[in-house]
Amino acid sequence: MTNVKQILIAASIICLCISTSVISAASEKEIRIADKAGDWGYPSPYLSYARGPGYVRMQFIFDTLVWKNETNSPIPLLAENWEYLNDEDAYVFNLVENAKWHDGTPVTASDVAFTIHYMKEHPYGWVVLDRVDRAEAVDKYTVKIYMSGPYAPFMEDIGGTMPILPEHIWKDVENPMDYVEPGAFVGSGPFKYADFSKEHGTYKYEAFDEYYLGKPIIDQLIYVKTGDPQMALQRGEVNFASIKSEMVDTMTEKGFIVIAGPHYWNKKLMINHNKQPLDNIVFRQALAYAINQSEFVDKSLRGYGKPASYGLISSESVWASPNVPDYPYNPGKAKELIESLGYEWDNGIFINDKKPLKLQVLVSMIGVGGQPAPDRDGEILKDQLEKVGIQVELTSLDTKMVDKKVINWDFDLAISGHGGIGADPKILYEKTIQVPGSKPSPNTARYNKSEELNEWFDGLMHEMDASKRLEAVHEAQNVYARELPAISLYYPTWYYAYTPDAGVSWFYTTGGIAKGIPIPQNKLALIVTGTEEGTTAATQEAQQQESPIISFSVVMAIFILVAFYLKRH
Amino acid sequence: MRNRTAKIVTIYLLTIFFLLFLNFLLPRLLPGDVILAMYSGYEVTITDELYNELVQLHGLNKPLHVQFFIYLVQLAHGNLGYSHICHAPTTTLIMDALPWTMLLVCTSFILSAIIGMVLGVESSWVRGKRTDQSLLVSMLVVDGIPSLAVGILFLTIFSLYGGWFPTSGAMTPYSNLAGIAHIKDILWHLILPLTTLTLSQIPGDYLLIRNSMILTIREPYVLTARAKGIKERKIKYFHAARNAILPFFTRIGIRLAYVITGVLFIETIFAYPGLGLLTYNAISNRDLPLLQGILTVSVLLVLLINIVVDLLYKKIDPRVEYAY
Repeated sequence: MTNVKQILIAASIICLCISTSVISAASEKEIRIADKAGDWGYPSPYLSYARGPGYVRMQFIFDTLVWKNETNSPIPLLAENWEYLNDEDAYVFNLVENAKWHDGTPVTASDVAFTIHYMKEHPYGWVVLDRVDRAEAVDKYTVKIYMSGPYAPFMEDIGGTMPILPEHIWKDVENPMDYVEPGAFVGSGPFKYADFSKEHGTYKYEAFDEYYLGKPIIDQLIYVKTGDPQMALQRGEVNFASIKSEMVDTMTEKGFIVIAGPHYWNKKLMINHNKQPLDNIVFRQALAYAINQSEFVDKSLRGYGKPASYGLISSESVWASPNVPDYPYNPGKAKELIESLGYEWDNGIFINDKKPLKLQVLVSMIGVGGQPAPDRDGEILKDQLEKVGIQVELTSLDTKMVDKKVINWDFDLAISGHGGIGADPKILYEKTIQVPGSKPSPNTARYNKSEELNEWFDGLMHEMDASKRLEAVHEAQNVYARELPAISLYYPTWYYAYTPDAGVSWFYTTGGIAKGIPIPQNKLALIVTGTEEGTTAATQEAQQQESPIISFSVVMAIFILVAFYLKRH
Repeated sequence: MRNRTAKIVTIYLLTIFFLLFLNFLLPRLLPGDVILAMYSGYEVTITDELYNELVQLHGLNKPLHVQFFIYLVQLAHGNLGYSHICHAPTTTLIMDALPWTMLLVCTSFILSAIIGMVLGVESSWVRGKRTDQSLLVSMLVVDGIPSLAVGILFLTIFSLYGGWFPTSGAMTPYSNLAGIAHIKDILWHLILPLTTLTLSQIPGDYLLIRNSMILTIREPYVLTARAKGIKERKIKYFHAARNAILPFFTRIGIRLAYVITGVLFIETIFAYPGLGLLTYNAISNRDLPLLQGILTVSVLLVLLINIVVDLLYKKIDPRVEYAY
């Protein structure tokens, strides 16, 4: 009797296992993107975390005036065309007339004017509007933005980054940082907000059928949090994920399309240029000669990267100067330069006034693309500097501690890094001098002592003539590389892979999304434009393949039956 | 008796107060300006204007003792503060994550206790024989492998190559499953993290029970039971194990704290949306109110379990009552 009972129980468990294992098939075209961190805040301007991935989550819902794609110059988005009025120091934008908010209300010029005034009143981290005086809606679809002085980075810095807010919703919002109502997610972008789960780190967007550039080629866009994005991609759980450099060949062989990122992020050496002997340009140049950038790439990145330009702006940027001074690895030259400063070579180290030449190098786990990564560069640097007679004391500290010491000028050298070096050259200005009215940042050189550099920066920031500005940008890089307020070391290469059958061709935006975010998730990849019209997106119909649960259930069922059989006999 | 309970309660209250004070103070002692540290990874320009707004938002412009007082008052109202980084009340965030952790931790706790206990009892019964020795060695080996490595190994074997289990999460997002299929989906996602966590717990339970059993088996009452001709299984579990289990209960409170910290790594590997992952994110984002809230909840949880064990102990072992 008991045996019969046991067999019945076992049989019912097995039945349950097999019968209910049906995974619902998605009949709509959907794309799933894997992300390791998951939660980047609600996809609304004031709520998303002020980091690249946070902005990317938001850009699907909110459109800006202009945008960027694989070409360099700004392309129309909400603004059809625009003009800069030199005499009035103002920009005039003509908006597209068929744009609608997700609630059906038309997008008008007064929304743009409202956004500017609202963001001046409630500061929004991505956009600094100090240079904008006011904005006016000339007619329903024309807006005029008056500047308080010439501001060259405007198109990328504000026009291409500032999300336009619907006036009819935001005019009553007093505290935007606490506004988490449905209205906070009404934008004019290609996708509508459907869901965000902070707990699971997932996002769901639905295509906005009335989007003025045409209906997106997919119906749903989903972000999924995964412990290992690459594994989730290989398992078919997602269509798009970042992958490890070493896996590029394997993934390509497996039929995934791998895209390599442009080099818009640099690891750099911060220098305390207020302290002897680092305050001397010749000494900093000696450091540059003593540093072997290729060794960093080979050892630290295992070859997946490239040496950096000494002019800070990425050598792949359209703004890169063609004749940035270079410092090819030359320990002999480095020693010569140090000797010229009065140091004497004694048993492998330099001494001055009987004191050895000694520098402290601060290292920490620094955030690379939002994830902390261990820093091995300190060891390599120590080795290289000791070869030219500089004693190095390597100090490893918590990131925030290093930041604090750097901000307080309590250091000699520190290893740091930042992105944005492929976007508007304003980054060169921001990372070199202390921008008035802002808090000191740990990766800004705060080098205000070069008159020549400051003059070129003036052109870089305020010259409205394109060719003259380009010249100023080039010259600023050349002076920067000559005076070396900080030394750029290398650019890592990042890879993403995606399944081609989903019908979307992802791409890296030239200069990075908006202000320079190096993530290949530009919303334009999901919109059919011009020539691509003919190619219809392949449907990512969830294949009704045999569910893995079934195969596992079968194995378990056999196992249970065998166990019972053995027990009975 | 009443005195004893009062004493226990006073001690616990003092402990709670002290721990709350530490909870409040420690995150504030982290190096660097709190606001700059919190937002330093952000790709935005922190203007003086924005900085002041953030300081006010976080209530950091008030003196420290006022902040502590506000913290206590809020806590008394069941309010753990507001995470401005997550734009959500800390209580909501924790309450969303807690059920997942409880599901993982409690199931694993019970499973590992049962498996560890049975293996420990059986092993001690055949002490010195081959079964015992091989069990002992394999348990020590399992104990030596960090759960992090086990997790990654499981992921590679069962997810990547076997394709049997999902790689991460607690359920398939936006799959529109309902009813039994939804529960099964949740269980399916639970298996790998659960096995990893359970496997890391079993050796501890096994070794404890085995050692305790070895001492108990020698007791005269076991001999008496044998002489009475009671079935072996009964002697093992009702006579010997019943007494050998006491040290296990003593350790529950301490062990639970370990499980809660141990689950941090496992939840991170499997991207399981529990308290461990929330802690990890709070630390990396320097989310002060959230970190403070999680620590408070963990502390209260561990203390609560300790109180329960303390009070239950005399039921499990009546001898304790007479020891006072």
